[in-house]
Amino acid sequence: MSALATIHGIVARDLTRASRQTGRLLGGLVRPFMWLLLVGTGYNAIARIEGGVSYQAYVLPGIIVMAALFGGMLTAIATVYDREFGMLRLMLASPAGIPAVLTGRAAAASVVAVLQGGIVLACAPFVMPVSPAAAAAAAGALVLAAIMSATLGLLVAAPLRSVENFAGVINVVLFPLLFVSGALYPTSGMPPALRLVAHANPVTYAVDLLRHALGQPTEFAAGLDVEVLLGATVVAFALAALLFDPEQRLAGKISPRA
Amino acid sequence: MTFPAPAIHAEGLGRDYDGARALGALNLTVSRGSLVGILGPNGAGKTTAMLLLATLLAPTRGSARIFGLDTSTQRSAIRRRLGLVFQETSVDGFLTVEENLLFAARLAGLSGGAVRTAVAAAIAAAGLGPRASQPARQLSGGWRRLVDIARATMHRPQLLILDEPTVGLDPEHRERIWAILDEERRRHDTTVLFSTHYLIEAEPADRVVLLARGDVVADGAPAELRAAMGDEVAEIDGSGASELVALLRAREAVVSVRRTERGFRVGLGRGHARPAMELAAGVGGIDRLAVRPATLEDVYFSRTVPEIV
Repeated sequence: MSALATIHGIVARDLTRASRQTGRLLGGLVRPFMWLLLVGTGYNAIARIEGGVSYQAYVLPGIIVMAALFGGMLTAIATVYDREFGMLRLMLASPAGIPAVLTGRAAAASVVAVLQGGIVLACAPFVMPVSPAAAAAAAGALVLAAIMSATLGLLVAAPLRSVENFAGVINVVLFPLLFVSGALYPTSGMPPALRLVAHANPVTYAVDLLRHALGQPTEFAAGLDVEVLLGATVVAFALAALLFDPEQRLAGKISPRA
Repeated sequence: MTFPAPAIHAEGLGRDYDGARALGALNLTVSRGSLVGILGPNGAGKTTAMLLLATLLAPTRGSARIFGLDTSTQRSAIRRRLGLVFQETSVDGFLTVEENLLFAARLAGLSGGAVRTAVAAAIAAAGLGPRASQPARQLSGGWRRLVDIARATMHRPQLLILDEPTVGLDPEHRERIWAILDEERRRHDTTVLFSTHYLIEAEPADRVVLLARGDVVADGAPAELRAAMGDEVAEIDGSGASELVALLRAREAVVSVRRTERGFRVGLGRGHARPAMELAAGVGGIDRLAVRPATLEDVYFSRTVPEIV
């Protein structure tokens, strides 16, 4: 009961905050639409994609994942602001404990991610024909991608102690996750070493699952995509819980009369 | 016959940061319903002690129990009984006052109708009604602190741990905060552990623990600690101050003595205030002689500040 109340409180607070930072929410949509409209239009003329699809249509699943990835991860990574400005200590003092705090944060970040990815998905019919069944399947894939992105964001935020590291994290974590995922170009064209990295990158499987949903050529079975996304979410959550508050791990190891 | 466990029982509780000792070995037993002040200079270990007792820091040595529950292994059960105010305010500027309290109520584990009831009562008790719908970022420091106090008290905690709750506030807000805390104690028998640099705020405490460089250097009721300084304190400034102190010592009038930047603070035994004044009249070089009752500030200076040689 305490855990549910805590999760409720954190989700309500994070979404209220997000709704009052409309600039940030809208700014998060600029990046995917810039890729889709500006880069996509330019690459339509020069890119030759297998199956004769336009580059814009090819890149659409990747752009949906991009919107979810940035929305979810950046919202979750914002935890580092709470740590620096004292709000996180308030949350960590909750009787419900770290798993409930992380679940609340991940849920709120996932909602932001689904919202941002969903807006791109809603524009899909302007780029390629999308049946209602495909849209529903894509929405399901988006939810999985959003939850995984939010949880990865928490894992990235867990060891961060200062907002000064925040910008660096975006360049060092977010862009590589996106670029080495087959979101913007096929992994088949990558050098073997990079392809290996792509196969270890959970974002690759999110993009692949979106391609399944939207009827595009894929690299893996949909079942494998789902398994990897769920597995990455569980592993990232467990690691984040372990790293989030070193004091809690330490506390159990102290001998009472040491 | 069994007695209820004390609100706080710490044995040799200590904490190091990267090998540097922040708190040595705190031994502390606080009975239920009491008001206890932790005093000491910056870096004395006050915040570390409070965070250890609040289960937010793990001890390097020793142990502590809150209402009989172990701070290392029963954190969740302890937190349900705690209300915390940190040194820095924990108020989200993007939320209104009411939204901040709704958030905190749910974090404390309240749910359903109890959330709104507790928030409404806390807003009324803290006098936050006219500001309930205001974004918290528009509040002054004093009002933000009142939000902190409302947040910490609204789930009826059995133990309040308050780290410098009135720091930087004007007298009006300080008075309001202490009025809320007094009411909380009166109505719910809440135990209150607080730290402060305003020594006057510790005078009504049942007990004062004075920390310096991670060690307890004084512990007792304010009246006891003051009495140990002497019946009254003479502030003696000027070049002749040391001569007067020597004369007072010879008459066995001195209970405690401490050198200051400008002279001496001398704790006098009972009945020695008037003779001291008379003696001073015969000693040259006394710029100022003032005799007044001993205060916690005298205790603070005598126990925490190194002697001027």
